[in-house]
Amino acid sequence: MLEHRRRLLCAAALAAAAMTVAGGTSRPAQAADKTVISCAYSETYVFDNEDLTKKWWGGIKADFEKMHPDVTVQLVPIQGGYDDIVNKLSLLYRSPATAPDIAQMATPTVDRFASSGYLLPLDKYLAKTDWWKKFPPVIQGEGAWQGKTYSVNTGENDSMLYYNVDLFKKAGLPVPWKPTSWNDILAAGRVIKAKLPGVVPIWILAGTGSGDNTVLMGVDTMLAGSSTPTIFDEKTQKWVVDSPGLREVFGFYHSVFSEGLGAKISDLFSTSGVTAPVFMIPKNQIAITFGSNFYGGNWSKLVSTPYWPQAAQVAAVVPVPTVNGKAPNISTTIGGWDLAISATTKHPDLAFELLDFMMNKENQINAANWAGFVPADTDYVKDPSFINFAAPYNELSAVVLPYGVIEPPSGDYLVWSRGAQEATGALAQHPNTTVDQAIGILSDYVKNQLDPSQTEVLK
Amino acid sequence: MMEGDAAEKPDGVAFLLLLPTVILLLALFVGPVLYAFYLGLTNIALMGPTARHFHFTGMSNLHRLVHDSLFWKSLKLTAIFVAASAIVGVTVVGMALAVLIQHAVAWLRAAVGAIVVVAWMLPPLTAALIWYAFSTTGGTLSLLGGSQADVLNTFPMFVVCLANIWATAGFSMLVLSAGLRSVPTEVLEAGRMEGASRWRVFWSLTIPIIQPTIVTNILLVTLLSLANFSLIYIMTGGGPGNATNILPIYSYQQALVFGKLGYGALLGDVVVIIATIFAYLYVRVSRATRVAAA
Repeated sequence: MLEHRRRLLCAAALAAAAMTVAGGTSRPAQAADKTVISCAYSETYVFDNEDLTKKWWGGIKADFEKMHPDVTVQLVPIQGGYDDIVNKLSLLYRSPATAPDIAQMATPTVDRFASSGYLLPLDKYLAKTDWWKKFPPVIQGEGAWQGKTYSVNTGENDSMLYYNVDLFKKAGLPVPWKPTSWNDILAAGRVIKAKLPGVVPIWILAGTGSGDNTVLMGVDTMLAGSSTPTIFDEKTQKWVVDSPGLREVFGFYHSVFSEGLGAKISDLFSTSGVTAPVFMIPKNQIAITFGSNFYGGNWSKLVSTPYWPQAAQVAAVVPVPTVNGKAPNISTTIGGWDLAISATTKHPDLAFELLDFMMNKENQINAANWAGFVPADTDYVKDPSFINFAAPYNELSAVVLPYGVIEPPSGDYLVWSRGAQEATGALAQHPNTTVDQAIGILSDYVKNQLDPSQTEVLK
Repeated sequence: MMEGDAAEKPDGVAFLLLLPTVILLLALFVGPVLYAFYLGLTNIALMGPTARHFHFTGMSNLHRLVHDSLFWKSLKLTAIFVAASAIVGVTVVGMALAVLIQHAVAWLRAAVGAIVVVAWMLPPLTAALIWYAFSTTGGTLSLLGGSQADVLNTFPMFVVCLANIWATAGFSMLVLSAGLRSVPTEVLEAGRMEGASRWRVFWSLTIPIIQPTIVTNILLVTLLSLANFSLIYIMTGGGPGNATNILPIYSYQQALVFGKLGYGALLGDVVVIIATIFAYLYVRVSRATRVAAA
């Protein structure tokens, strides 16, 4: 009896295993007939909210499938922040079975994905499009590695200086305000501090809470307008840990925090430091902000985080000036999100056709408005549907874009960035930190993480 | 005696029955740990040319580890975090709660016990967010002092230790309460009849009797705290200025922020080695306790 039961159990187990195998290999007839193109993208980080993410990517899927009834666009949303997207994509690319045909990735990571052998060179496809040649050279260069182009930009972020018109008027400062040097910014900040206690005179991010965004919107943006903007010396292949430019930037930070012109460290060091001004500016809590182009879109009715109908009247915007007003007197970094095609895709032509569809005017302007981007196409940025979506912010963001500096694409840049975050964190938390000490923090950090031989001092 | 002999002799059937567990342990635990040790000696990266084509780099990562000042700082911070929060904090607070509950009226015992255990059962994410809100500017802790002080960023290690004690003391209380209940009342009464004070009875009788429980508790809480990545990561991210950058955070930073998977794996291996030492001590203490009880 026992033996009989054992045999029955064995037979049942074998049957179950056979069914599992059969179930695992068979596919619905409809899906098997269609060509599947998978797209991996950020669900929660790139667009201003998840609804807009679904609207854009859902629209792409629906429209492309309507144009190609034999194609299924498989959406692969990735949750989490910047690092989570990079890590998840890295894992997906490790196997051709999971590598997405098309992936949305941050521009500074393209170089590393390309050098991993994960991406398809796009040059032969790009030559046939009418939009690629309208991209500014600096943006075309973001997707290049060893002479080939591996990705296409779908929107950039750049830096601008916001100032609160109401607070400026209350403090007796001139409106419109046109700062021509960093000293002009400090001078206005000092007046605000004296006249309007309780208001943050100058918001500039510091510390490690917001990761590389802190450096992108702060140190890197200012360094771009300093005497020596170099972070990575291409000639010597070394990281700059001390230079006149870095000393000018840290000197500005030192003035801001030693004179009590900066924000509270609990706000600056928070993980939400990047978006905090979007909520604080409408409440008249900040007078001058080193901010990003996306603020204006967030105040629009469509995005509403938060909706601020008076934004255009209260929050004015100007380019970040250079250290001493040298023409064109615009300092900004740029960083955005690209689309790339997997080197192992079975359908490269179709994948590029889908990418090309995403790059059309309507899709790109929607992406720009819904994610707070500046479109890379020099024609799209002049379109009223982009300019008027968040006036006057979108227009200025397009003006400063061609002057943008990109961060070095090497993975070791994140080490340098972390050193700069710690240096600014010390300047913000301990106002008696000197410029020499801040340089020492950056220098020690990079030397310890990489090697002293990989660093240099610029005179 | 005969039972002991029987237990020590290898039994074919017992071996067969253990085989699935052994295979699972080898495949899902020992294998990955050994592979992690191997990865720790390679140049594998998250992205870049060595993402797929990585190779063994000998002692290169170890050489870097020895000369990495941040690693030594991280090791020191890990020791401070584990010693201050787990060994001292959790054990002392857990013991205090266990003793208080033992002498409290029934309803108070039930209420305090429930609250402390709920704190222990909360996911680390919730505990971290509660303590972040409590200790940052505008939180209750700074408002209690009547100021806009930022306690979290001013005393980061102190606050994360407090948060860990808050979140783990419930476990400690449960373990030590069980130990206290096992102390024979006649021994304590004898001590009292000899004229010993309450404190003397507690210190000279109760503590020695439950010493194995205390040691076990310390070791378990140490292991729990060593692996407590989420609490610190959410509260401070290892900052400010690396002030709370304990080894699990530093390992994460190297592997998944800087993309240096090999070096990150090596840092993780150091945590595994430290945890293994504590686990070995735990097994030794447990065995000694069982032998003493027999």
